[in-house]
Amino acid sequence: MSKTGPTENPLADIDQIIHAPARLRILMLLYVVESLDYVFLKNQTGLSWGNLATHLGKLEEAGYVQINKGYQGKKPHSMIQLTALGRSAFQEYKKTFQQLLDDLPE
Amino acid sequence: MTEKVSLKDLERGLFRDSIQDGILDIQIGLMLLMFVLPIYLSPKLGDFWSSVVFLPLWFLVILVPRAYRKKVIRPRVGTMKYGNYRKKKMMRLNIIMLVFNLLALILGLFSFFNFSALSGWAPAAGFSMIMLIGFSTAGYMLDMPRLYLYAILIAAAPVIGEYLYRNFGASHHGFPITFGSLSAALVITGLIILIRLLDKYPPQEKEELI
Repeated sequence: MSKTGPTENPLADIDQIIHAPARLRILMLLYVVESLDYVFLKNQTGLSWGNLATHLGKLEEAGYVQINKGYQGKKPHSMIQLTALGRSAFQEYKKTFQQLLDDLPE
Repeated sequence: MTEKVSLKDLERGLFRDSIQDGILDIQIGLMLLMFVLPIYLSPKLGDFWSSVVFLPLWFLVILVPRAYRKKVIRPRVGTMKYGNYRKKKMMRLNIIMLVFNLLALILGLFSFFNFSALSGWAPAAGFSMIMLIGFSTAGYMLDMPRLYLYAILIAAAPVIGEYLYRNFGASHHGFPITFGSLSAALVITGLIILIRLLDKYPPQEKEELI
């Protein structure tokens, strides 16, 4: 039996929910604040409304973000915040990715 | 290490984006008018009442721009709630500003009631020092470098005013000239920042579309 098999995927341990650039950007922004609204997030990420909603949907489904729907006066106004799970997942992602880069040969 | 620094920079950038709307510049500029407007009513109403009649105006200076920020700027720029690091920093700033305001008030009262032997350059120098330290501290804690320039200009205003009064006979210790021109400069700066911001962030589509 050959010792050489298919090459091990070094990115297998990386959280693919976070790894997408747009979602990584969203999580980075949410990591440094308490919460943001859609408009602030849209302005900071440069995403379209549709893309933003899709990515937030995936992050919410994974339990990484929480969308608190509310009202500002009579208008709907939601605030988005990182959950405890999302925070630890982001920290784990940082650690794993840093380790992966550190292990690369010069 | 690099990552840590960049997240810190990211937070600082978000904070700056949330406050750089020109409103603070306009408010500071308008508040400086309190050293100009009452002077002209003073001969008719006396020093005390000429200041008191403008109190509602100072409330408007605080409240109207805030309402404008809430109704016009926030819907365009968005809302951000600070993280713990920024909340603690803002809390420290509020306490420091309270102390500086109290010091300025005490100096003002001493000057007003002539309870001390302060005269001539002394009140101007004391006021300048408080303004210089107060605005510099605010500039540092708000990560807003132009407040350092404001600190220097506001601190210089009474000293320059006193110089104009002594050497060129400027009325009212030169306050109308120095504070008036500084007020105009700050309001114009704030308006330019505000107009550029409104241009950069057009009105957003309604959030319920998402």
